[in-house]
Amino acid sequence: MSKLKISLLIFIVMALLSACGGAPTATQEPASTEAPAAATEPTTAVSTEVPAVETTNVSGELIIYSGRSEPLLQPVIDAFKAKYPNVEVLLKAGSNSELANALIEEKANPQADVFVTTELFTVQSLAEQGIFQAYMPVGADQLPAEFLGPDNLWTGLTLRARVIMYNADLVSAEELPTSIFDLTDPKWKGQIAAAGSTNGSMQAQIAAMRQLLGEEETQTWLSGLIANEVTFFGGHTDVRKAVGGGEFKLGLVNHYYYHLQKAEGGNVGIIYPDQSDGQIGLITNATAAAVVNGAAHTPAAQAFLDFLVSPEGQELFAEQNYEYPLVQGVALQPDVQPLDGFRLADVDVVKASQDFEATFDLMELVGLP
Amino acid sequence: METTKHRFNYLRFRSNPASPRLALAAGLVALFVAVPLVYIFIRALGAEPEAWGRLLQTRIWKLLGNTLLLVVAVTSGALLTGVSMAWLTERTDLPGRKIFRWMLAMPLAIPAYIGGIVHLALLRPRGGYIPKLLEDIFNQPIFTPSPLGFWGAAFMLTLFTFPYVYLLSGAAFRSLHASLEEAARTFGRTPMQTLFQVTLPALRPGLAAGALLVALDILAEYGTVALLRYETFSSAIFVQLSGRYDRSAASVLSGILVILAILFLWGELRLQGQARFTQMESNWRPTPPTALGRWRIPAFLLVTGVVSASLLVPVGVLAAWSIQAFLDPETFASVVRTGSQGFGSYIWNSLWSSALAAIIAVLFSLPVALNSVRYPNRFSRFISRLCQVGYAIPGVVIALSLVLLVNRLLPFLYATPFVVVIAYVLRHMPQAVRASESALNQLSPSLDEASRTLGRTSLQTFMQVTLPLILPGLLAGGSLVFLTSLKELPATLLLRPAGFDTLAVRVWAWAEEGFYLQAAPAALLLVIASALPLYFLLRREQIFK
Repeated sequence: MSKLKISLLIFIVMALLSACGGAPTATQEPASTEAPAAATEPTTAVSTEVPAVETTNVSGELIIYSGRSEPLLQPVIDAFKAKYPNVEVLLKAGSNSELANALIEEKANPQADVFVTTELFTVQSLAEQGIFQAYMPVGADQLPAEFLGPDNLWTGLTLRARVIMYNADLVSAEELPTSIFDLTDPKWKGQIAAAGSTNGSMQAQIAAMRQLLGEEETQTWLSGLIANEVTFFGGHTDVRKAVGGGEFKLGLVNHYYYHLQKAEGGNVGIIYPDQSDGQIGLITNATAAAVVNGAAHTPAAQAFLDFLVSPEGQELFAEQNYEYPLVQGVALQPDVQPLDGFRLADVDVVKASQDFEATFDLMELVGLP
Repeated sequence: METTKHRFNYLRFRSNPASPRLALAAGLVALFVAVPLVYIFIRALGAEPEAWGRLLQTRIWKLLGNTLLLVVAVTSGALLTGVSMAWLTERTDLPGRKIFRWMLAMPLAIPAYIGGIVHLALLRPRGGYIPKLLEDIFNQPIFTPSPLGFWGAAFMLTLFTFPYVYLLSGAAFRSLHASLEEAARTFGRTPMQTLFQVTLPALRPGLAAGALLVALDILAEYGTVALLRYETFSSAIFVQLSGRYDRSAASVLSGILVILAILFLWGELRLQGQARFTQMESNWRPTPPTALGRWRIPAFLLVTGVVSASLLVPVGVLAAWSIQAFLDPETFASVVRTGSQGFGSYIWNSLWSSALAAIIAVLFSLPVALNSVRYPNRFSRFISRLCQVGYAIPGVVIALSLVLLVNRLLPFLYATPFVVVIAYVLRHMPQAVRASESALNQLSPSLDEASRTLGRTSLQTFMQVTLPLILPGLLAGGSLVFLTSLKELPATLLLRPAGFDTLAVRVWAWAEEGFYLQAAPAALLLVIASALPLYFLLRREQIFK
């Protein structure tokens, strides 16, 4: 009986505590920053004069929503925590769109401080809905202009290329595919793995293809993949392990999954597809980060963004995860082929983000798992 | 038996006029349970006709077919496995049946998605441990059936849901009167004919209840079907929620799923109503076991096979992976440190959220149970039924409903672990209500009356007389809520605030990326933590006494 009373008491106290703790955030109104619909003006560095945040001053929590999967962000968070020991980092990792949904839902009652994503369409679309606050991280002037969001509402971090990896034990050099359209060739039936419709990189690839080739051709390609019995996994780690383990001959992945599998000792190869004339070129996705509008821990959020574009943060992405750092002057991991040598597909981010919903309709229409 | 019971209740009702305060409390609990459900229907009906049209054209029929097919397959599989295992361990001279009784019930401690992770790693075509082993032995690839898709999902879900049927039919076999079968034998029926013509029909109500429990479980299942890439309503709703930026499609699918589940639940409640009173006369004696004869060895192998696939192999593989994870310093470091918090915080989060959910569910169940047992009338029965709908709201739907509701009505609770706890309470409330009702049913109201006669108030009576007597029953209900909350995955995934990871979430996050070694220690701990309350619960079951 006394146990029961005690538990009841504990519950009431907990409920009260959470109510008190939450009350101020509930009344917080989002700053009414209307995002410009057409962000054509070249952005001048608005907030470069913001002084670098002093390491010792930043403390408290930092809540990160990340579309980058946890293992791919954790090393950077660890390095950040080493530098800012007073900051307690709380991470929620999921798919880009799941977290985007949460950010939209929480617009009046913001929970997250930073959003990290694996493609630009989601972050641009959220920026247009007023989810982010402008911030130009220290050192972001070293980024190519196209990787800074309109009005500094988001900041690009790294680039990844969409490639085909293959199991070198199972596929000989002469039969290698050269284009993503070879993946619909019946000779690969049942031999290909890819990521499914909830994966941000896959979504972005489809969105890019819709812009480059149009709806119909993209739909034909997707239906071709499904007809070819491509196995769609939830994430790319499964894909790379399955290809490395010989379960599949080919995998459609981001380029670093090839390097990660190679580093684990797999006999795998990489194909940078669609390099000939008349082909669409290599599709790339940029990862990005943004500070949430109305974030409860803005200084920590800004410090985190500063860290992500600092040489130290960029080197971590480059070295540990074989990505292409966007900040000039940061060295590539030696095994990674520089992008300069490739023909890259040219995609208009703002346009593709406004059209992103149609990509989901298309995935649903063809029944992409 | 039924009629005496009813007269009994009638007398109780007459001697205690309905208590308005109790009815109010029960009504409030029912309201708390009903609001998320009603909200989902409003959202589903309020969705744009366009969303309905698109879904009707593309998804709904396929999802309905997929879901029902899986429900039928798993329910049949669970019935077949559960009844045959119960018969072999209760009614035959099967060697080792005492140990098997326990081992056949223990898979309830293994969440189906964890079992699925293990079997997937073992069986995956070309890449799994077994195909690789076969290839090494025979020096060429050997065809093995794929665990992905419909058959894999049906197989794995059967393995981890048959214990429901096994427990119910085991208890029924045990309590069945020996004379029933003896009479059949006297009339010249063979043992097989007796089994199919007399014994099984007598078990029917219990079997139907078990089957419907399995069916509701499959409707709500997310982890396993997502893992094996077989699309059902639950997994499609999850994909919708983590996919596009509007909730109308998810609401529509949720509305349909809940209707399906309510239909099942309605069937279950009807059958439960008929099956409530099993015959247990004072001259009950156990039936002599059937001699298996030359079938002893095959039967032993069969039961060993089921126990291996559903218990020994999953636990063994998890243990082996865990040891590997602990031996490799790099993996070990990532297990202990991964995520924003340490490993200890996942254990702590799992334990306290499930325990709090159990306490709240039991507390909430009390007014409902008291009201329906002590003052049975149309209203109190309706309230009690309403509190069973948690069975019918799958985790993904509760999550969707709570995200929308809490953020609008109780923003201070939004993104706190308490929303996760509320989801557990809503989902697992039926178990608490049923446990409390059955505990109260076993208590004679004359005790209460005596206490009242001696001048105690109704509150004093409850605290000093009723509560101490029903406490074991309440603890059982609480353990069940704790156990099922510990295993809960989809609602936790969708509702958890940043930094609040449970063991189940950790297992899923690692396994989804293919990091099985890292996932194993958390999975093993989850199984162990579930096994303890399960052991306590099973000790109360008739077949383990």
